[in-house]
Amino acid sequence: MTRTETPAEERLREQLRPEKPFARFRWTVTILLAAAFAWSALTIDARWDRLAQIPERTWNFLGLLIQDASLGPLVIALEAMWESVAIAWVATLIGVVISFPLIFLASVNVANRWVVLVVRQVLNLFRAIPEIVLAIAFIPFFGLNPVTAAVAMGVSSIGTLGKLSAEIVEGIDRGPMEAVAASGGGWLAKLRWGVLPQAMPEIAAFWLYRFEINIRVSAVLGVLGIGGIGTFLTQAAQRNYYDRIGLGLLVVIVVTMLIDGASARLRRRIINGPPGELDQKREAAARVQISGDET
Amino acid sequence: MQRPADASRRAWPKKPPPTPFAVGGLIGLVVFSLVTSWDWILGIGFNPLALPGEFRDSNPAMVEGLYNVTDAAWRESYVDRLRGAFTDPDSPWVLSLDSRIGRGLVETVQIAVLATIVGSALALPMSIYNTRLGAASSTRLAISKALNNTIRSIPDVIWAVLFVVLVSTGALAGVLALTMFTIAVVVKLTSDIIDGIDMGPVEAARAAGASHAAAMRTAVVPQILPGYASFSLYAFELNLRGAAVLGFVGAGGIGQAMDFYWSRLDFEGVSVVVFVFLVLVIVVERASIAVRKRLV
Repeated sequence: MTRTETPAEERLREQLRPEKPFARFRWTVTILLAAAFAWSALTIDARWDRLAQIPERTWNFLGLLIQDASLGPLVIALEAMWESVAIAWVATLIGVVISFPLIFLASVNVANRWVVLVVRQVLNLFRAIPEIVLAIAFIPFFGLNPVTAAVAMGVSSIGTLGKLSAEIVEGIDRGPMEAVAASGGGWLAKLRWGVLPQAMPEIAAFWLYRFEINIRVSAVLGVLGIGGIGTFLTQAAQRNYYDRIGLGLLVVIVVTMLIDGASARLRRRIINGPPGELDQKREAAARVQISGDET
Repeated sequence: MQRPADASRRAWPKKPPPTPFAVGGLIGLVVFSLVTSWDWILGIGFNPLALPGEFRDSNPAMVEGLYNVTDAAWRESYVDRLRGAFTDPDSPWVLSLDSRIGRGLVETVQIAVLATIVGSALALPMSIYNTRLGAASSTRLAISKALNNTIRSIPDVIWAVLFVVLVSTGALAGVLALTMFTIAVVVKLTSDIIDGIDMGPVEAARAAGASHAAAMRTAVVPQILPGYASFSLYAFELNLRGAAVLGFVGAGGIGQAMDFYWSRLDFEGVSVVVFVFLVLVIVVERASIAVRKRLV
């Protein structure tokens, strides 16, 4: 079958399939990643042999969950989850109320360049500090209670909400703003009639998205003992209350999924408008087009 | 000149009434906010007007421990402890990480590195499988979506609690917990960009007779690689932040040092650990943002 290539064929093959260039960037990244992985895996104080125990232990754990399963703690599990949701909602509210005026001071097409620079840096600072650090910083003032969690997460939300909403405002069409300016509107009128109608749906959708994230964060802050499903589950695990662990996990998964689903539908509705309206608008536009052709 | 009244009415069309969705949404928003923030069984008792009062009624021992910056003696002992965390008189090196804080810091980085690499490696095939294009069957797509939604709905600290039960306390539980968290983040973001790729290369690969796996590898992966790499770096930032919480449930990292001082009511110690951790997070975030800007 095999036969030697003629020189012409060889040239053709090389032209069709050029040699792969040496990718220096790719090799550097691969080597760096491999080195970081090897260093971490070899020097970390983790008992790797315990990985082998996972199947057996999972089996035992599931057995205990099923054996101890009862609906007894359902009410307190749901109460704890509700508290997490309430913390997340209040935190989102704090973030929304404080970040809303800052959005416009952080958008280059609305505010002065120097103001934007300063406000952006402040927002970045809020974003950079982890929620748990903020929670620890606020505990001396507000105590070990859900309000502390809400304030810490609220401050943290200001950063993300402000920055991402400002990016939405920077992406809007200039036309309406110029129209407001041309008809004699001031700075506030420009915001109200030129900016808000365009940016508001996306900003509101982003508020809802932040609420979804905050539910998870409030569960995380529970480890400090400031309430919610995080506190419930860590305490249940410390005391080996398997009925509470099982039910708590179930509640977290089901409630989070339900809220995510509802929130995603709401966000779609806010951004796309009522169902069918888009088609009606297209039809109306098509009709205008046709009648325009006739005249 | 005064215009006739009916002419101006014609020039200014009537404002349409708000949609039922807007009215319902607004009422729901106000009711839900009141229910959650009121001081009763279903609310957390958040009163913005009372906050300044609570601010004054603070816990003086904690405030003095955490940030008594105006006190010279406090500053001195703070700096001493900070120096003590990174130096060792018996060690020949200038920098020594063999202290509670130093070890916690190193372990936090190790946990984040391992979890990010393992989690991202698993997330690439999983995110391809999590799209209509990659799953190639609606049943398999539904199974994949259900699995990924479940993983995503469990917060990282709950994963840590679970893995502490399964592999007992230590850094291994932390690595496993953040691996699941990385999968959740990277799969969500990456499968979203797979939906928007150019289908040309995929069709070309199929036309040339590539198998499904080969088509995914040669036509999909190169297109999503910059985004995927950027998301993985983002997951690394999140993991580093998340690793601080792990220690509170016994899953290793710098949180263990925080928990240690916290349970001994040594608030100055807590303050030193939090400060060091904050510096690490901010430095890594700046670096990561710089790299991500170049990637995408």
